[in-house]
Amino acid sequence: MALEVQEVDSFYGDLQVLRKVSLTVAEGEFVALLGPNGHGKSTLLKAIAGLHPPSLGSIRYRGTEIFGATAVEIVQMGLAYIPEERYLFPDMTVLENLNLGAYNPNARSRIKENLQFVFTLFPRLEERKNQKCFTLSGGESRMVAIGRGLMSGASLLLVDEPSIGLSPALKKAVFDSIKKINHERSITILMVEQEIEDALTLAGRIYMMKGGTILFERNANEVDKAEIEKAYF
Amino acid sequence: MALGLTIIYGVIHVFNFGHGIVAVLGAYFTWFFLTRMGIGMIPSILVSCVIMFFFGLLFYKVTIRILMKKPNWEFSSIIFLLGFGIFLENIILQAFGPRVKSIPLFFEGAIEVGIIYMNWHEISLILLVIAIVVALQLFLKKSWIGQAMRAVAQQMDGARVVGIDIDRTFSLAFALAIAVTGFSGILLGTRYFMTPHIGWDWMVKGFVITVFGGLGSAPGAILGAFILGITEAIVTLYIGSLWVWPIWFGMFIVILLLRPQGLLGGRTI
Repeated sequence: MALEVQEVDSFYGDLQVLRKVSLTVAEGEFVALLGPNGHGKSTLLKAIAGLHPPSLGSIRYRGTEIFGATAVEIVQMGLAYIPEERYLFPDMTVLENLNLGAYNPNARSRIKENLQFVFTLFPRLEERKNQKCFTLSGGESRMVAIGRGLMSGASLLLVDEPSIGLSPALKKAVFDSIKKINHERSITILMVEQEIEDALTLAGRIYMMKGGTILFERNANEVDKAEIEKAYF
Repeated sequence: MALGLTIIYGVIHVFNFGHGIVAVLGAYFTWFFLTRMGIGMIPSILVSCVIMFFFGLLFYKVTIRILMKKPNWEFSSIIFLLGFGIFLENIILQAFGPRVKSIPLFFEGAIEVGIIYMNWHEISLILLVIAIVVALQLFLKKSWIGQAMRAVAQQMDGARVVGIDIDRTFSLAFALAIAVTGFSGILLGTRYFMTPHIGWDWMVKGFVITVFGGLGSAPGAILGAFILGITEAIVTLYIGSLWVWPIWFGMFIVILLLRPQGLLGGRTI
């Protein structure tokens, strides 16, 4: 198993956001995490990445317990969180942002090779590599965020709402790139997404999350639309 | 001087009110090694800077880091650094006494080119400062740890996402700033006399320059120093040196009213 999350509890202050959440992601799999806003999906990704450490439970990455590990250690092990665009370094160029993605010592030796892959995936970033990030459009920022995650040499990407705020054409481009990352590089993907239709065509399996717990788990081709609608309303 | 303030403010967002004293401490270290240990100018400066670096590292680890975990840490750090500055000033007073000291010039003699008259020492100071500025810029732009410092300054959550150790980066930035400040104190110690109290004077000048140019902007600090230095020279020449401070602060107030972020402020290092 690439990732095994068992009975994780997480709090913001006194507010419990995750209640005994369990899920698994197999090596090379593409899993989507669906559910209404504000019900703990992003918190779960941040808990796994060590950015908002959970208070109880167990998180295993390739069999190793990473519950309680720091964000720095988790990145080094090959797990990258791809956040929303506001996490980019605004006053640095696209290239500097991408290179910083390879900050962890394990990634530095493969910087050239990974950069090449990012540029084949997003030719637009190569054109704008010397542009400061605060000048980029929403779609380009999203590409830099994904590229920066790839630069870490991760074998598991935690992608947080990649399509949010993008036009339909850009949404498609971003989803295509994530699919390519999964197919061509066999990088395991756990993606939080609001676009249910797209998520169902991309992912092999989905989890539905609501109220800080997992409601159900399905293979993407066996999903009952009514069941999903019910979960949302 | 202004550069050290800029690094600390730019990366950690703390304004260091103990800054002048740190510069004085660097100058006193060099004076001590030079005159009491007799190890020569360059070794004295190098040893002083290394000591200042480790002093900064230790100081961050045992004080600032603990303060940063508390709510309202920005304000408490300012007060703490101010208090520590006064404490350090008195330690220096006890250790070295109140008498005026100075570090010898690097080079004797002067050069005349047309109407410009400069001594070799001042030329060497200018070259040294340019070298330090270039080296710092290269360090911040090219090295991994320098990039990490800029990353932390610009987007702390983003820095955590790519696996930068925030605490380690803060401690190195703080130590680097203390070393650079100590070095600036050494240079000032050769240019002016030094007493344990002179640090406040230096700091106010550094503060005006830094805020004038834009807090957290290294090019701003240099531009601020350049403009205010020329103003000082012109005012001293045509009106009298007593008017330097009033005119400086007049300009300072005007800049703050028109452009509160300083000339090149609003950006990060």
